[in-house]
Amino acid sequence: MIKYILKRLLLIVPTFIGISLITYAMIRLAPGDYTTLRAGLQGELKAGAIGNEIIEQEKRLYGLDKPVIVGYWDWFSKLVVFDFGTSRKDGRPVAERIGEALPITLALNIISMIIVYIISIPGGILSALKKDSLYDRVSSLILFVLYSLPSFWVGLLLLMVLSGGDYLNLFPLGGIVSDWAEDFGFFDRMLNIAWHLMLPVATLTYGGFAFLSRYTRATMLEVINQQYIMTARAKGLSEKRVVLVHAFRNSLVPLVTLMATILPGLLGGSVIVESIFSIPGMGMLAFEAILARDIPVIMAIASISAALTLLGILIADILYGVVDPRIRLEAGQ
Amino acid sequence: MIRSRGYWAGVWREFRRNRLALSGLVVVLALFVVALLAPLLANDKAYIYISQGKAYFPILFEYPELAGLNFREESEKAFVIMPPIPYTSSEYDLDAIVIPPSARHILGTDEQGRDLAARMIHGTRVSILVGFIAVFIYVTLGIIIGALAGYYGGVVDMLISRFIEIIICFPTFFLILTILALVGPSLVNVMVVIGITGWTGIARIVRGEFLKVREMEFVQASRALGARDRSIIFRHMLPNSLAPVLVSATFGIASTILIESSLSFLGFGVQPPTPSWGDILSQSRDFMDFAWWLTLVPGFAIFITITAYNLVGEGFQDAIDPRAVRK
Repeated sequence: MIKYILKRLLLIVPTFIGISLITYAMIRLAPGDYTTLRAGLQGELKAGAIGNEIIEQEKRLYGLDKPVIVGYWDWFSKLVVFDFGTSRKDGRPVAERIGEALPITLALNIISMIIVYIISIPGGILSALKKDSLYDRVSSLILFVLYSLPSFWVGLLLLMVLSGGDYLNLFPLGGIVSDWAEDFGFFDRMLNIAWHLMLPVATLTYGGFAFLSRYTRATMLEVINQQYIMTARAKGLSEKRVVLVHAFRNSLVPLVTLMATILPGLLGGSVIVESIFSIPGMGMLAFEAILARDIPVIMAIASISAALTLLGILIADILYGVVDPRIRLEAGQ
Repeated sequence: MIRSRGYWAGVWREFRRNRLALSGLVVVLALFVVALLAPLLANDKAYIYISQGKAYFPILFEYPELAGLNFREESEKAFVIMPPIPYTSSEYDLDAIVIPPSARHILGTDEQGRDLAARMIHGTRVSILVGFIAVFIYVTLGIIIGALAGYYGGVVDMLISRFIEIIICFPTFFLILTILALVGPSLVNVMVVIGITGWTGIARIVRGEFLKVREMEFVQASRALGARDRSIIFRHMLPNSLAPVLVSATFGIASTILIESSLSFLGFGVQPPTPSWGDILSQSRDFMDFAWWLTLVPGFAIFITITAYNLVGEGFQDAIDPRAVRK
């Protein structure tokens, strides 16, 4: 097992280098002059108010005067000691900005992921066991509809109906904590944050909810028709034991791999949700960095998101070995 | 002698049994018709205009003597037949900004007094165009890359598979946003960027299918007959792997339409004045507290379109899968 984990860990390094190199090369090689795109500079340059020196200086500052490979190497050798450089937009260290944003996005996604798994796995199993019953049909239809609902629309509708305007006024319009909650006690502050996170979490959750329930149902259906389930029933095991121990355990394998495939999409989803609810997380930071063509921040976000994804895949691989002994054996050999 | 029905005829027969999938197909076709006929459905020029004993067809031809005429206001003086939505998508009217649905504007107007129904109808074109062309680009790329890996195996397969693993770890949506920010958002760029970032799923499917069939007799037979690699790949092996690719492409259109509208929603998609559903929805944010029609209508259109493609994809998948349980 340890050998297996080590092998997977070693594979992570080239993959990570591949991802960051491609991202860096793409930013550098894309058409459009990066430096002159900075707002305001273009006009002053034309008016002759500033010389070309400032452009040269900016190029030097962000390593743009060097070839792509050298620039990448400079970036990478700093990354190894966790130096992400400074943001082009406000000159603050990138690590500091990410340190503020990452926990918020992680918290949002972890909360919604937990809710998704807690609700949709039992729901999916029940649906598979009572296949073609009224419950199964109705829940399948509802889940199908949820699955096709665009998240930015749902977010806007929730805001429109529940956050003031001409309709109900139950939730705040955005942000993660109210200004007036700054000097609240810990408990009240947490309550205030929870109140702010309600709608964003709902927006992030319903899609995964539909996806995972349908997935659980499908894998469970596949397993439940296998002969070893019939054998388990035939030898007189209780239905509960057949379902939870024999069937569910085998349907776990695809559910575990699913976790790894969800991860790369999280950042993209966060961009939309955080922009609707004005949440200062990674999605918002990414969006602002893209708008400002802030290469150090873009590179840092891409590499952190890639690292988290690779970590997720590694965890899924390990769990894979835990739930399926065959994989453990094969890897040990 | 009974002639065997072809494989695709069998798939269609299975598909037809699924009522939900069929209704999805009807919606998909209806959207096509709307996109094709958009200039005929929403236009400020009359179909027929008869004045002083002379008949004009302003929607089809230019008439110098009718230039500048507002056909909507001519109905009392002359015989006029207008299109169902008598506005173009870019015709603004500052006297009628953000008004709710009414007899004049059946879906209301936006912040520049443009008719929402006309904008929705013309926006259909963007969705369908992006959906089909982007998916076409990535299906082509995916087939070529997947076929190379599956057919040649060995080192080629290893390299391609590693490359696919790298691409899969990319935060795709973030990548698309970054590229669009650098090259500038436009309809063509959106299609190309989605196209070049989306091929991995198709490549994996094709690779898997090719690995399955490459040792089969018909492949060996064609090789023994001296067929070239290219002809074995495209004429013999590919048709056998096409069904799962097309299913995946159908779902791909749904997700591409979603990505395009998300991009437009964030301001990185199709640029104004070209109407796009995501862009309309994005502009509705400024008037969200009261202008429910600006939020409800475009979102609902995106939702219905995605649902329809997903239903078709699902029906298609059940139809090609022999293990699918028949009801």
